[in-house]
Amino acid sequence: MLAADHLWGFLGALRRAGVGAAPAKQADFLRAIAGAAPRDVRTLYWYARVTLLGDVAGLAAFDRVFDAWFVSGVPVEALGPPPSDVEGEVAAAGDGGTVSTMEARPGGGIEASAAPTTGGRTFGRSDTRQRDLMRLLREAWPARLPVVPSRRRRPARAGRRLDMRRVWRQARRDGGELTRLRWTTRPPRARRLLLLLDVSGSLKRHTPELIRLAHTAPARTEVFTFGTHLTRVTKALADARVDAALAAVSRTVTDADGGTAIGEALGRFLANPRFLALARGALVVVISDGLERGDCTAMVRAVERLSRLGHRLLWWSPLACSPTYRPVTRGMAALLPHLDRLGGVRDLATGLSEVERIPHVVAGPRRAAWRHYLSGTASGARA
Amino acid sequence: MPLGEEQLAAALAREGYFADEGLLTAVHLALRLGRPLLLEGEPGVGKTEVASVLSRVLGRELIRLQCFEGLDSGQALYEWDYPKQLLRVRTAESRGQEIGDLYAEEFLLQRPLLRAVRSARGAVLLIDEIDRADSEFEAFLLEFLSDFQITVPELATLRAAHVPVVVLTSNRTRELHDALRRRCLYHWIAFPDAERERAILHAHVPGLTGDAAAELVRAVQRIRELPLLKRPGIAESVDWARGAAALVDGANGWPRALRRALGLLIKDEEDTRILERHAEEVFGHR
Repeated sequence: MLAADHLWGFLGALRRAGVGAAPAKQADFLRAIAGAAPRDVRTLYWYARVTLLGDVAGLAAFDRVFDAWFVSGVPVEALGPPPSDVEGEVAAAGDGGTVSTMEARPGGGIEASAAPTTGGRTFGRSDTRQRDLMRLLREAWPARLPVVPSRRRRPARAGRRLDMRRVWRQARRDGGELTRLRWTTRPPRARRLLLLLDVSGSLKRHTPELIRLAHTAPARTEVFTFGTHLTRVTKALADARVDAALAAVSRTVTDADGGTAIGEALGRFLANPRFLALARGALVVVISDGLERGDCTAMVRAVERLSRLGHRLLWWSPLACSPTYRPVTRGMAALLPHLDRLGGVRDLATGLSEVERIPHVVAGPRRAAWRHYLSGTASGARA
Repeated sequence: MPLGEEQLAAALAREGYFADEGLLTAVHLALRLGRPLLLEGEPGVGKTEVASVLSRVLGRELIRLQCFEGLDSGQALYEWDYPKQLLRVRTAESRGQEIGDLYAEEFLLQRPLLRAVRSARGAVLLIDEIDRADSEFEAFLLEFLSDFQITVPELATLRAAHVPVVVLTSNRTRELHDALRRRCLYHWIAFPDAERERAILHAHVPGLTGDAAAELVRAVQRIRELPLLKRPGIAESVDWARGAAALVDGANGWPRALRRALGLLIKDEEDTRILERHAEEVFGHR
């Protein structure tokens, strides 16, 4: 095999393994080795890693491909099917192993999966108590959301930057005389709220109230439901009339009260770049009991990623309402380091008290989460 | 002509920075290909230090942009000096002169990125803790990082005469956009191995005995394996060694001094308690 063919094969394999290797990065790599041929495999490894790898999360997959092409000598094409661009098909980037995702497919080890979808569950009519609570929630949300300085400047009494347009306009009225300086400032803008709502069978009792809770969320909020699959219900919830919106949701969501595949649903959310953009810098709230059947790795990975994308990550669980609740199940215990807060929400009333708590949530230590990428990957001691 | 890898290693070591092979390759390629270098790693592994050492090795000016939440283009790229413009208008009026061009270079306030572009001898630009800035801010960096140019609409597109050496650092508290990663070379700085850490300690803590350094490095490496909230970086172990060196009296006082100076290594109440539980294995007999 010619050297050039071998290189192209390597780059292709990297791409199939889901490790970045965008054209610009490939060009960097080729320029690097064209400029000075690497002395040995070790140098070649570092040249390739520095230019092609974009994120330490992909290191394990990168090492596998590199070993296959340059160390063991025989290129092995057993790295799983190429990640397709089709929505919902992609496992977590750098995952490499597609086996676990297959296991986590709907029905994988789920008792309730005999009937994964009941379809078109209705959520009843709202009573007076619910309507009162929902009004309170509608008032509570906007003031509680975290803010960022807006990118669009507004006139203000004081600020760091002059509002030249208003200054000149005033000056023209005053015969060219500058009488008063006007300023602009960046007013605070509420961050986006992203609600990810578990509608699986284990939350059956709470689902109607939780969907009402989602309906009270302020404008620009994005709402997704997940059970065995992921559904975007933002549009369905947009109707200002509560019961009409709930009816629309029940038409849209077909997997209510079915099985759970939290990891897979969240993974699907993260695999879609349009959805991903919604999570960036947002206040992310996941409402779920975190009871994942089978392997929790996919769920933990997805939550980890979600916590780095968003501004804060809150996890509201009906189980946490009980004062004796301890997050000791394997899944929840592994999630805990990535959450900024684990709160108890099972209905509108508990939802209201958690919403009021949002301003007091501080960022948890997320760096701790990065350790496992180092354990098990050879970073300095390669042959 | 950029330095070769060996010369680079020697030059960095002279400045007290002991880089491993991966980092050397990354810096070497960044200089040779003229690409920005994105460094990630846990706090205290010497990400920021790379830039300041590079500026000394290359004899270039170090320009630093510290990122924070709410950072905007006015603070990173440039701003117009409005008070100066107003004064110009007033003076011109009172003397009956032409006002002239108000959007000329003399009214431009240069912020770090623009300063790096206009630096006469080429600069080392450090964009520190990019993960602290909002994700929107990354968009401002894209034009700069791919072409090393900044467009000022009122003036022109300003291009760097000497391509600046750009080092970005991130603690991975937020996920960076792919568009940004694509424009950079990337390196994850891991904790150093025992030998390298000893070399670093000897370079930074004069008066540290060989035995004490060995003991200290062994303890630090074991502490990093504990499930701590914040694992001590190199900066912390250097601080620890300095503190112990100040406390020690006599050649046999090192173990005691190390224990007393522990506050310089572990800076969290919970971590201290975890460490107490594992004191035996960390400070255990050799």
